[in-house]
Amino acid sequence: MLLKIFFPQCCNRADSGLLVGRWLSGYDAAVVLAVIHYPFIPGQVKQYLQQLQAQSGGGLLVLGSWSLPKEGQEGIECFLRDLSTIFPQERWLQINREMGKTGFNCKVIHRDQSKILIHTQWASAGWEEKVIFIHYEQRKVMLSQLHPVEVPDTGTDPPSELRQVRDSTVGGSQPLFFLDRYDDGPLKSTHWQSEGREASIIVELLKQASVPLCLLISWLLSVWTCICNIRIFKLYPLHFLSTKLSTCDQLSYRTEHMRTLIHLSKLFPASLQASVCRKANILVSLLVDVALGMLLISWLYRDEHICMLANALVPVADHVAKELDQLLQWLMGAPAGLKMNRALDQVLGRFFLYHIHLWISYIHLMSPFIEGILWYGGLSAGLGLTFALSLLSDMVALLTFHIYCFYVYGARLYCLMIYGLSSLWRLFRGKKWNVLRQRVDSCSYDLDQLFIGTLLFTILLFLLPTVALYYLVFTLLRLVVVLFQGILRLSVDIVNSFPLFAVGLRVFQPYRLAEGVKFRVLCEEPGTALHLLMEINPLKCSTVVQTYRIPTYSCYPKDSWAALVKKLFIGELIYPWRHKTTKTD
Amino acid sequence: MGQRRRAADLNNTSSHGGSGAPAEVLHIASKKHNICMVSDFFYPNMGGVESHIYQLSQCLIEKGHKVVIVTHAYGRRKGVRYLTNGLKVYYLPLQVMYNQSTATTCFHSLPLLRCVFVRECITVVHAHSSFSAMAHDALFHAKTMGLNTVFTDHSLFGFADVSSVLTNKLLTVTLCDTNHIVCVSYTSKENTVLRAALNPEIVSVIPNAVDPTDFTPDPSQRRDDRITIVVISRLVYRKGIDLLGGIIPELCLKHPDLHFLIGGEGPKRIVLEEVREKYQLHDRVRLLGALEHKDVRGVLVQGHIFLNTSLTEAFCMAIVEGASCGLQVCGHSEYVGCGITQLIPGDFPTVRSLCAGVESVIAQQRSGSVPSPMSVHARVRSLYTWRNVAERTEKVYDRVSREEVLPLDRRFRRLRAHCGPVTGSIFALFAVLDFLLLLLLQWLMPDRVMDVAMDATGPHGLWRQELSIKVSATAQAAQPDILLK
Amino acid sequence: MEGEAFTDINGNAISLDCQNHSGSCREFTVSSPKMSIGKVIVYTCCVWLLAYAVFFVTENTAVLSGAILITLVGMMLHIHFVKVDHESLLVIGSLGIQVSSNFASGRETTTFIEMSKIKDIVINEAIYMHQIIYYLCVLLKDPTEPTAVSCVVPLFQSSKPRLNCLVKVYKSCQEILSKC
Repeated sequence: MLLKIFFPQCCNRADSGLLVGRWLSGYDAAVVLAVIHYPFIPGQVKQYLQQLQAQSGGGLLVLGSWSLPKEGQEGIECFLRDLSTIFPQERWLQINREMGKTGFNCKVIHRDQSKILIHTQWASAGWEEKVIFIHYEQRKVMLSQLHPVEVPDTGTDPPSELRQVRDSTVGGSQPLFFLDRYDDGPLKSTHWQSEGREASIIVELLKQASVPLCLLISWLLSVWTCICNIRIFKLYPLHFLSTKLSTCDQLSYRTEHMRTLIHLSKLFPASLQASVCRKANILVSLLVDVALGMLLISWLYRDEHICMLANALVPVADHVAKELDQLLQWLMGAPAGLKMNRALDQVLGRFFLYHIHLWISYIHLMSPFIEGILWYGGLSAGLGLTFALSLLSDMVALLTFHIYCFYVYGARLYCLMIYGLSSLWRLFRGKKWNVLRQRVDSCSYDLDQLFIGTLLFTILLFLLPTVALYYLVFTLLRLVVVLFQGILRLSVDIVNSFPLFAVGLRVFQPYRLAEGVKFRVLCEEPGTALHLLMEINPLKCSTVVQTYRIPTYSCYPKDSWAALVKKLFIGELIYPWRHKTTKTD
Repeated sequence: MGQRRRAADLNNTSSHGGSGAPAEVLHIASKKHNICMVSDFFYPNMGGVESHIYQLSQCLIEKGHKVVIVTHAYGRRKGVRYLTNGLKVYYLPLQVMYNQSTATTCFHSLPLLRCVFVRECITVVHAHSSFSAMAHDALFHAKTMGLNTVFTDHSLFGFADVSSVLTNKLLTVTLCDTNHIVCVSYTSKENTVLRAALNPEIVSVIPNAVDPTDFTPDPSQRRDDRITIVVISRLVYRKGIDLLGGIIPELCLKHPDLHFLIGGEGPKRIVLEEVREKYQLHDRVRLLGALEHKDVRGVLVQGHIFLNTSLTEAFCMAIVEGASCGLQVCGHSEYVGCGITQLIPGDFPTVRSLCAGVESVIAQQRSGSVPSPMSVHARVRSLYTWRNVAERTEKVYDRVSREEVLPLDRRFRRLRAHCGPVTGSIFALFAVLDFLLLLLLQWLMPDRVMDVAMDATGPHGLWRQELSIKVSATAQAAQPDILLK
Repeated sequence: MEGEAFTDINGNAISLDCQNHSGSCREFTVSSPKMSIGKVIVYTCCVWLLAYAVFFVTENTAVLSGAILITLVGMMLHIHFVKVDHESLLVIGSLGIQVSSNFASGRETTTFIEMSKIKDIVINEAIYMHQIIYYLCVLLKDPTEPTAVSCVVPLFQSSKPRLNCLVKVYKSCQEILSKC
């Protein structure tokens, strides 16, 4: 088994001293965390380590000695060997670096149970076989977050080596790093120094300030929940409406996000970094959303843009109605040279024409109020771009209600005919659907039954093309509307769920989100141990987005394309998206 | 021309690949063959053809030949797998069309099959079952590549309906220049010779066998107060399940102590369920559903009579298995010199003929004039062994390997002469296209850049030297590891 | 240290470079041939001729500039995402195996697999497109079941060397793996 020594890069040029760190359980590896310099009093070092252990939960040891000889420091060799008797360990590492050489030399001194010192000193040719030095950058390892984030479970098998390396660096070693280089204490040490305390003061101030803010928001939230829970909203029409309107959806998601922002901190601290990241994601996406909304407002309320929009809306609706009228007239004749069932064609066509007429009168009734509606609706952009977009989506849904109606009528009629045809087709083959067993059974029919069945089958079959044509045309119209709504929905969703903070972190500080590590072989000199450089392997951008995306409705599974086409074919109603509520029932 | 090219390529391979050379030498010196079994039907699909291929391959491996099996992918089982004794199975990802049979275009399987033939240094291609499109394709390509071919037919066919006319034409074409054909019974030989218009001299009869140690009789499991009829087959049209649905009510009406035990699963299960419900036979007809191979014996020994209603079976393995378990067997197929079965007369089984057959067996059973299960088992055991089958098949291979493969021009002439001017010309065109495709493939990816496969079995197989190493069929990846250590 | 000449499964020349860092650390690099100028020119000419034909019919100059843009973007995407210059395998005894592939644009993707997760390195067979090939792969342990294999990581995925090259790498890897 090879002995692996994880050595921090910042200690490369440190003065001679003692190595402080820990041994990894289960692996033959040592992690060096810091170097305590000469001169020191061994008693103080022991006391200091005991203090640290009391704070952090154990494991910190003196691993061995480190020497970087300078001019005027001679005869240190035998002193170092004696140190091992002062700090009794099972294995004592003696690492030294000579000036002008990049490689380290290492001796491992084993100490037997029977307290006899056995000095194992390898010939220099043999060293390289037994020890691997792995240099790591303490700062990056400290700050990195290994993915996938594991929930620490108790027991089973030992965690992987790299995770242990990171945990031993971060977990429970913080107190060690408080010892500042410039402090006047009895002990001097080299390790990672956090950058400037000034920044951390600002962070502390922010933390203090955020407490009352959180309280305020939570109070507002509780008021809002109270309003939402009033019974009047649970009554049938209002409740039904609120599940259909995307603005209401958006409102509930934002409430959810706010709640997450406030409450997440009470979770267990193991996934602290992940939860902080998630909170930051929500906060950043919220801020971006509001900023975009403000931009929209500034455009809308300048130069009478709203007025122009409102004036354009009614003619557009009129135009659409006229086009639909022409379409129906075309269908009532012989569309594309098809010969339809004339009677049914006329009935269906008149029915739909009447509907369009109703719709147009409704729009004209509404026209004086449209500008007001737009003006007040535009204000909702102040809550964020997403609100404005959801409101737009709702308005489009209301304005194209007639198309939806046509589609539903057509689909129902078509669906009925298809069902009738399929069951009569089974009758032809002497089969029937067994409801109890959910399967097709064979069955012998009477002559009368067969006669009636055949008659009905023929009638349905010949009427099918007419109905199918109406269904096809209105389904296409409906699909156009659904497509538009889907695009709005998608853009709202992207703004809602895009983890902007995590992506920013990935771009500017790639080591913060680590997928793993990678190794590079440092230039080796013959006769010394192998030196590797451990670098953080940053997470892929796609994985970042996947891991940190804020959960919204689009995360629920949608219909597959095949299922959608099948639904269209048999005439089932399709909706632009699947609601959370429909998933549960 | 194909032959010459192939020989040249082989020489190339041997100089490049290293392990090609021994195969070449062996081919001449010790008559050990490199055999490739091709069929659409192989495990995990269950049935007679599947176990025939498996058992035959095992016995041939025992005799020192190298055997690989090529079939299509079953679900997630695709790629290369190893079975007992290093039997290598290629599950090729070809599209399954109907009844586990691949879709055939005559061409699209060429690249993969060529790859298998070249890298395994195949000398004899042995195709199984006329229902398997892949087997036909493989025969066609093997002849284009200049390899010797053997075909085993496992089923009987009619001549009248549309599907059999088409299949027979296809069979005529693919078998017209196949070196040798193996049939599993004399009826089957007659049938095949007529269908494919073959010279009877190149058709041999090698019956199937059964593993007698797995199927031993155990009369104590039977219940003497009733007569139990066991049916074990896939519940599909080809196995005559509609006939079975016809005879069940009739027989049950006549014999109140008659019980049916039906094992197997398939689309025709609903027919049996309806019969059971219609005639209120829930306590007398038991449907067991899909059976694992190891459970089959446990079902068989519970019965007195084994019934097989299959329409196209030439040699029903299940019947021999039933007989081996000491059951009286009743079926339409023909068994040479066995005397254990009740034959149903007529060309094609009908409800009436089946009923009559079963009636007579029941009468025998009641009168007690049936041979004891042990004696039946002993006879089956002596008659049908896989070693015997393998020996006879080996002789076929020896004979085939001495023959030459028709060069392209003579192949055309033979196609034209044998299959009629229209079909012959069409398939001659196909053969030309196939040959051109082969040339294209040989230009794109010459044989010398293909690695010769590590030999698991066969005369120089690494597997034989390390028999102590545990082999598992599922741990596919373990194999090359062993090879290379 | 010197690169040895091998071929990949399509018969193109590749080179294998073995670097011995120490007794327990070895690096194998398989480099594919560089992109040939001729091929680039042929592709570019094809696109431009096509664009010129379209331009001749429509007389719209946007087509020509579009073609130039397409070739440039296509080439960039190709060298950034498709064309792999060399792949390397770094085996460090008792620590793990590092697999990295360098794209022609200099992009590098690296994966490190710890020794505790590795069950073995083997050569396996697979059906790839319309041929059956050998490839080298790392078997990962199933954490719940120590004997089972949970995952197979194929090595040298884009260069696809032939068997003789794989055997050489395999033997060398096994030497290191068996030591610890």
